[in-house]
Amino acid sequence: MPDQANILVIDDEQIMRDGCSRILSRDGCSVLCADNGSQGLEEIKSHPEKMDVILLDLMMPGMSGMEVLDHIRTFDPNLLVIVITGYATVESAVEAMKKGAYDFIPKPFTPDQLRIVVRRALERRTLQKETEFLRREREKSLRDIATEKSKIKTIINCMGDGVLVCDRDSCIVLSNPAASRMLKTSETLLLGNYLNQCNLPSELSKIMEESLQAKDMSYASVSQELSAGESGDIFLRAHTALVRNDIGEIMGSVTVLQDISHLKELDRMKSEFIAMVTHELRAPIAAVEQQLTVILNKMAGDVTEKQEQLLSRAKQRTRGLLDLIKDLLDLSKIEAGKMVQYKEPLLLQEVIQRVVDLMRAEAENKKIDLQFSTPPKLSLINADRNSMEGIFTNLISNAIKYTPEGGKVWVALGEEGGFVKATVSDTGIGIKKGDLGRIFDKFYRVKSTETRQIVGTGLGLSIVKSIVDAHLGSISVESEEGNGTTFILLLPKELNPAPC
Amino acid sequence: MAKKILIVDDDPDLVEAVTMILESKKYDVAAAYGGIEGLQKAKTEKPDLIVLDVMMPDKDGYIVCKELKADSKLSKIPVLLLTAVVSKISTTRYTQQMGMETEADDYIDKPVEPEVLVKRIEALLSK
Repeated sequence: MPDQANILVIDDEQIMRDGCSRILSRDGCSVLCADNGSQGLEEIKSHPEKMDVILLDLMMPGMSGMEVLDHIRTFDPNLLVIVITGYATVESAVEAMKKGAYDFIPKPFTPDQLRIVVRRALERRTLQKETEFLRREREKSLRDIATEKSKIKTIINCMGDGVLVCDRDSCIVLSNPAASRMLKTSETLLLGNYLNQCNLPSELSKIMEESLQAKDMSYASVSQELSAGESGDIFLRAHTALVRNDIGEIMGSVTVLQDISHLKELDRMKSEFIAMVTHELRAPIAAVEQQLTVILNKMAGDVTEKQEQLLSRAKQRTRGLLDLIKDLLDLSKIEAGKMVQYKEPLLLQEVIQRVVDLMRAEAENKKIDLQFSTPPKLSLINADRNSMEGIFTNLISNAIKYTPEGGKVWVALGEEGGFVKATVSDTGIGIKKGDLGRIFDKFYRVKSTETRQIVGTGLGLSIVKSIVDAHLGSISVESEEGNGTTFILLLPKELNPAPC
Repeated sequence: MAKKILIVDDDPDLVEAVTMILESKKYDVAAAYGGIEGLQKAKTEKPDLIVLDVMMPDKDGYIVCKELKADSKLSKIPVLLLTAVVSKISTTRYTQQMGMETEADDYIDKPVEPEVLVKRIEALLSK
């Protein structure tokens, strides 16, 4: 027994009280005694928590055992009462049992008989206590769940993002104020209604309906941008995910709505800013360069050698600024997805041949041997012609810039798996190992005494990489300091070449 | 007799610089500092060729060019569009596409090297 058992003996005979007390105390019970019914009841009422089992004599002067039993039952029906019956009168024992006594023991009894009856009652008492404990625990858990539910409800209602929960019959079972606000509707028009009755933006109800139809276990979630509001001036991003039960059945879906109108607004401002930069920043620099050109061409009078030197350098600087502006514009266009829009099946060898022809003068100025080799037959690629011209102009012009006089630059084409492979190699100054990983980063330029004289914006290679990415291709670089550099491009072959 | 060239650009500094280039080659130069003024001067000055800027606040070069080409008295005047190149990589497309739309006779990026400008003008005038 985990706790000490408390037993009350109510009997008018001193010898019985003492006997029971002695036997049970020896077994580790704490025993209280009362010599009549009313005293017994008082004991029970004054320490109800200390009552596990009550031994009650039926034959007592004053209040009878039966009466005491009635009082005990009204006081606490859970109290276990064992009645002690004199001279084995079965009738009184049966009557006491009917009134709710737990057991009876006929007088006279042996200590062992008493122990057995009491132990059985105590076991019953333990079970009673455990049941009570479990009942309390369950009540507490239910309260915890209720608290948790209320907490989650508060969280959902406070969220800035809209939440819509659907059951598997496409009925909305939960929505929050943010969702009503974003969808310009009221909670009552959402809650309890089927998706097709809620007057939701059609794209939204479509993705919510479709997600519930998913048959595949792999379906996880889907995101979509959509416009809402009467004039379509609110932009939302909807993210829908499925709720599944423990055996993977679809129980419903959860959709989270984000208001991305401010992002769209930022995007628009960015475009405007770029347009502003184009005109406001470029135009004056172009004008300055035009004026320098006129002076350098001696159209505004004679120029001394020193003046010419200074002005040429000034012109180089304005040229650098114009290049930087162009690069920035290219980059912002690529980022806005506006750059690579005109993909067509094309022959890369034609594009590169054109670029190589254009670069030949620059190469010859530096006494650099510029070579181009291509197999006679090569697969078509699906690409934007201007972007391709741009990236090869960039790579070849870089190779020429970073290769000392008398060096060699060569471009080779070939095929590798599903890709057309292009390599641009040079015998130039190469790239340090530590810089290799970063050369495609925006504004990253390798600074050294050898590169100090070379003009560049640090944007060229990041633009090249963005274009290659937009064509689902890849670009990598191999280089050793002082031993030249090779750029390797893989561009996917055109899958369905049109019959020529 | 010297050929007359009309320069239309809202940037007076650019107009001055281009004027100096052309005057050094003995061309007669007239200037207009906006699209609307450019259209008027095209009528009054009767130029042999027009060098036309694209980005102008009152009326942009494409529209001016369209109106010039729509006017039967002016449509014969060659138009050399002076484009501010907005992008290094898409240069080709920019000039070609815009050119086709505007029916300009040639396109040139600014700032421009004097010999390139003169060569293009001579080519247009000798057509």
